[in-house]
Amino acid sequence: MTYEADKIVIGAGLYGFYAALFAARRGEKVIVLECDEAPFKRATYINQARVHQGYHYPRSLSTALKSAGYFARFNADFAFCLRRDFQKIYATSSRYSWSNSEQFKHFCAAANIPCQEVPTGEFFQADKCDGAFLTREYTYDAMVLRDYYVEKLKEEGERVQINYGVKITVMERAAALYRLHTADGQIYAAPFVLNATYAGTNQLLAMLDFAPFKIKYELCEIILCRPTGKLPEYGITVMDGPFFSIMPFGQTPYHSLTAVAFTPHNVSYDALPTFDCQQGLASFCSPKHLSNCNDCPHKPVTAFPYMAQLARQYLLPTYGFDYQASLFSMKPILMSSEIDDSRPTVIRVYSKNPTFVGVLSGKINTVYDLDEVLANG
Amino acid sequence: MVETREKETNFVSAVIYIHNSAAALREFLTAVREVLGENFAHGEIICVDDASQDESREVIRAVAKKGDGIGVSLLSMSHYHGVEAAMNAGVDLSIGDFVFEFDSALLDFPPELIMTVYRRSLDGYDIVNAAPQGKNRLSSGLFYWLFDKFSHVSYHLTTERFRILSRRVINRVASMNKAIPYRKAVYAGCGFPMDNIFYEARPGHTAAEDTEENSYRQRLAVDAMLLFTDVGAKISAYMTGLMMMVAVLTAVYALITYVERSPVAGWTSTTLFLSFAFFCLFGLLTLIAKYLQLIVRLVFQRQHYSFIGIEKLTK
Repeated sequence: MTYEADKIVIGAGLYGFYAALFAARRGEKVIVLECDEAPFKRATYINQARVHQGYHYPRSLSTALKSAGYFARFNADFAFCLRRDFQKIYATSSRYSWSNSEQFKHFCAAANIPCQEVPTGEFFQADKCDGAFLTREYTYDAMVLRDYYVEKLKEEGERVQINYGVKITVMERAAALYRLHTADGQIYAAPFVLNATYAGTNQLLAMLDFAPFKIKYELCEIILCRPTGKLPEYGITVMDGPFFSIMPFGQTPYHSLTAVAFTPHNVSYDALPTFDCQQGLASFCSPKHLSNCNDCPHKPVTAFPYMAQLARQYLLPTYGFDYQASLFSMKPILMSSEIDDSRPTVIRVYSKNPTFVGVLSGKINTVYDLDEVLANG
Repeated sequence: MVETREKETNFVSAVIYIHNSAAALREFLTAVREVLGENFAHGEIICVDDASQDESREVIRAVAKKGDGIGVSLLSMSHYHGVEAAMNAGVDLSIGDFVFEFDSALLDFPPELIMTVYRRSLDGYDIVNAAPQGKNRLSSGLFYWLFDKFSHVSYHLTTERFRILSRRVINRVASMNKAIPYRKAVYAGCGFPMDNIFYEARPGHTAAEDTEENSYRQRLAVDAMLLFTDVGAKISAYMTGLMMMVAVLTAVYALITYVERSPVAGWTSTTLFLSFAFFCLFGLLTLIAKYLQLIVRLVFQRQHYSFIGIEKLTK
């Protein structure tokens, strides 16, 4: 059977759902196709849940300014899914940091984001950090956000159709339409396709012979911890290099723990994600179709002992944490961002009439960047 | 037979100093990785490449890629720093509860010695050194003899191949010193118990001669002497003594000349005295200058090393 719509959105993460709701509210008929059995099962859920205000990018003022610009808007629109009642500490490591405390202060002033110096000895072991700063940053709860979107999309009624467990096998251009064939024999056709699959982006682009994004893929582990002592009230990030971050994970009782050196378990520099762990999983996961790492029988052994060892080198013992669970997800990183560590949101229009748009963004609050292309596409 | 043994739960780090050591590196790195992997549940190996001009880095990458086991990181220094600064860089990066420092990639000891050293540290020694027996170079022997004679460090220093440090030694040393120009002396003087384990060096394993390293060692020896011993102060004391003696003798000579001959001859002795006094004074000034240079380096140089990058070669 062939389903027709004004827009097809591939990927039921935040970017996909945002686009679907945006289009539906303009009166368009939208079909959302998702390969998992439920929405928000990958990158939107499995990350640090940080609503960026720019602190993370002391070497990329452009990224910082953009994050800061959308911070207020995101907080107003999505207040229901945020957690704000914690103190967020950023600190610069004394050794191996690409930025020192003076540079961080200077950067915050330039980006016009709040940054108040606090004594390092209140949080960190002697000599480990050369500056600590009380900042303002929030965390979002992906599950609350998911329920909100599921509800809102349901309210749009007939205009929005969401199909889960759908595997796209062939995409073709037919006159003014794109036709998407799926493994279950269905065909979906629309004059506008948005590829919001994040880690799967290049895999879909390859079906239409479009130029892939230059990305590397990292199989990442987010650790959920139960914070103890004084930690429940704090989020702490040590910058700017091979350090760690431990901060509230949305509205859950847990903190997420990540470390630059240990969070990525495996890296692939190929255009399509190619990993050793895919061997023997032919139908489940391959360079042509990434499955959900979190459900994978080959998922790596947790790096918690390493991350914990690193974090405990820095934190005073009163900021404690215990292991709770691990979440695994594939993260694509634009290769152009290695030097300045920027995280640009890239939106590419591959064709017009019919229109094919790809989006790649590592940040939740730059979702508004989609507005323009959705309104004009 | 399959032996099931409880692995050590302490997190261990091994920092290996590498400078143009490609020849012996594969055997060395493989052996260290095996021993640590067999005995420790969690650990890391940090290879500090001190601007090697040979294929050391390629060897490290090749060994790191091979199979599972303890994770290997490569820390590449921007230019030649010498073993002291490069080791400090590596130890700063390490996160282990116990940290091994391998001063060279020279496997002249049986690999099991690594665990012997570790177990000795569990007996209550925060620092345990592994030292080859009777294999000292003449120059090193002279250095350590002089060092022991003139320093106030309670332990005897000797040529060491590697050592283990507890985390509290590293923390103590970091809080005591702004810079660590000569680790051995700082460790020996940090106040925690230290022990040496001597071993019979295996034949056929000697370090290759490296002119850059040799001249670095000579500079290091002079710096260490001046910083950690009072040999400089003693020399200046002797010099002052000598000067005073000469001054007294000259005075006596001048007196005798005054009594026995005509005073005009006093010109000669005055000139002699002045030239000699200035000679000694210059000697002292040289020493003071050397001290000042070291003080300036220690006090003002905040970054003690610069590095190109840190790569996680295996997880």
